[in-house]
Amino acid sequence: MTKYPLIDGHNDLALRLRMHFKNKLSNFSIHDNSNFATDIRRLAAGHVGGQVFAAYVLCTAQDKDAVRLTLEQIDVIRRMCTENPEMELVTTAEGMRNSTKIACLISIEGGHSIDSSLPALRMFYQLGVRSMALTHNCNTPWAESSASLYPNYQRKNNSLTDFGKAVVNEMNRLGMLVDLSHSSWETARSVLKHSTAPVLFSHSSAYAICNNVRNIPDDLLLLLKENGGLIMVNFYSSFVACSHNANVSIVADHFDHIKRVIGAESIGIGADYDGAQGFPKGLEDVSKYPALIEELISRNWTEEELAGVLRLNFLRVSFYLFFKNSYSLLSCSQ
Amino acid sequence: VMDWVKTVCLVLWVFTFNSVADDLKEHALKLMTDTPLIDGHNDLPWQMKSLFNNQLNTVDLYKLNSTHTNIPKIKEGHISAQFWAAYVPCNTQYKDAVRQTLEQIDVIHRMCHKYPEVFKFATSSQDILDAFEQNKTASLIGVEGGHSIDSSLGTLRTMYQLGVRYLTITHSCNTPWADNWLVDTGSEPEAHGGLSDFGKQVIREMNRIGMLIDLSHVSEKVMNQVLDISEAPVIFSHSSAYSICNHKRNVPDDVLMRLVSATLTHVHFHIHKAYVLLAGSSIIGFGGDYDGVPRVPDGLEDVSKYPDLVAELLSRKWSDEEIRDALGRNLLRVFREVEEVRDHQNGTKPDDIPIPFKEVQNSCRTDFGYQYASSSTCIQSFYPVVLVLTLLNKLL
Repeated sequence: MTKYPLIDGHNDLALRLRMHFKNKLSNFSIHDNSNFATDIRRLAAGHVGGQVFAAYVLCTAQDKDAVRLTLEQIDVIRRMCTENPEMELVTTAEGMRNSTKIACLISIEGGHSIDSSLPALRMFYQLGVRSMALTHNCNTPWAESSASLYPNYQRKNNSLTDFGKAVVNEMNRLGMLVDLSHSSWETARSVLKHSTAPVLFSHSSAYAICNNVRNIPDDLLLLLKENGGLIMVNFYSSFVACSHNANVSIVADHFDHIKRVIGAESIGIGADYDGAQGFPKGLEDVSKYPALIEELISRNWTEEELAGVLRLNFLRVSFYLFFKNSYSLLSCSQ
Repeated sequence: VMDWVKTVCLVLWVFTFNSVADDLKEHALKLMTDTPLIDGHNDLPWQMKSLFNNQLNTVDLYKLNSTHTNIPKIKEGHISAQFWAAYVPCNTQYKDAVRQTLEQIDVIHRMCHKYPEVFKFATSSQDILDAFEQNKTASLIGVEGGHSIDSSLGTLRTMYQLGVRYLTITHSCNTPWADNWLVDTGSEPEAHGGLSDFGKQVIREMNRIGMLIDLSHVSEKVMNQVLDISEAPVIFSHSSAYSICNHKRNVPDDVLMRLVSATLTHVHFHIHKAYVLLAGSSIIGFGGDYDGVPRVPDGLEDVSKYPDLVAELLSRKWSDEEIRDALGRNLLRVFREVEEVRDHQNGTKPDDIPIPFKEVQNSCRTDFGYQYASSSTCIQSFYPVVLVLTLLNKLL
């Protein structure tokens, strides 16, 4: 892992900052904080070289102040990543690859954040957002969630509307990763057929091992392979073991299964730390990634396969998308 | 014979007058070729929204003739830099003002991107000078109305990231933290006596990040309170002189005098009337408000007419230096000072204290983040229950 520092696809520290500190960074000790799963000391211990931080806002803000809340989350992540010398904010695959610090990428977790506005999507891109999950646990007017917690925007046989396709097209054009974690399987299928760029599941695991709707069934995995995309495995106990008792071994089972179905080059890690309570024994926080890698080594994963899982697969998928300077598409200052 | 003499004299006089007028115009144009005209406020983006729903692909800015502004007129008017207004109406406040504002910011970027031979997107005083060197119109963004930031400093900062370089503190409605000019007419009740405490936070944060403070549309008390606390010079992007025309959108003399201080602030005069030098030319600039108003003066019908206004000033014996100051040098000076104040405060942390919830409560606002008390005992007792609820909500 020293040779291939990990790029993790999904971390919710920004949510913690909102919930517990109202985004007052000054009240939060980012270097060492035992209340959460993430801090700089443990990211370093876990050999994390890159982290995608989610700018997430609750579904109850949909049709209310979701846009403004999202801007505030983007602002807190930007501040966190630019105020600490151990971190740096990146917006390109180049930047991610060449960083010698903990490189931060900003993602949005839920299409409700754009309030059905392509201009808002473009402005988020300009603010450095490089990935967006089309839904969280609520449907948007144009895409369907895997959860049925909220009654609004329900639909039959139209899991991705024409506007939804326009969103995907615009994300392809801009160079923003389409994230299918939390989307319904039907929406995922539509996107996998429609997208002209590789997509990803930033924090989902294998349905064959644990049949939770947040996980991905084998047929979708095969579509993902055709698309050239990436599945970044979630560590949350309820998703890996379908129970609160989980360990490193069951997590590794997900990796083994997905490798069998579509190959190691389609796999990454998106542990979802600080997005949930209840992680497997041995993988309680961001310092524990090496335990998983050790387990995979004991299962005869090769160095090449592991290098892919740790970072090279993500870089390959994202390089295709956002090697351009983030501003060149939107301004004419060059 | 007398008739003949009179006719000749008349003809001569007319000829002289015309050639004097031509000379003035020529002189004006010469000045405008060596000094950039920077206009503080143009509402073409709002016309894009109301006429075309921001569908720029259906508009040709070279041929558009239903607005005060189009590309040929910009060229004829010698506009070297323009602050485009990202404006959304007050009835979006407490609704979708933020998203609508993002859409206006986006349309300005796209307009710039669509005509790269004409516009150069700019975010600094240096960018304005660079665009002038390249014979392009520097395009900047001003957000017109504090309601656009929805009482959120995080939103203010992200708009700065998107290139916004001034915020007009209010449009024609109070925000939860500042009063607007209608309060001075008596047609709207005063809410804050000027700026609330959070309003002062907004001003200080704008100083810290280097965003110009625009006082057009604010109440008189806000004008004075901002001048009390701002460390950087401020602007009125499109206001005129109250003593010439006593409209409450205009600036009273005592505030104008405050602008002429050590920090040297700047007023863009509305081109609604000819104006009188009161406090010296150092505080004057141009802020036409074209495409933001339905009626403009005869002789200044559209953005191509700036040279005629400059010629008029020349006929009133304004010196070349005074004209150059008003055209753009004053704005550049103010902009540079605002940038210096920002740079000087480089080590200061961003303000992350949110507005108190009770000042901003409304049906479209969630209280996410406010539920958790700051005392640790409170957190401990709530933590398991609320956390579980939130996480159940977040994850399935």
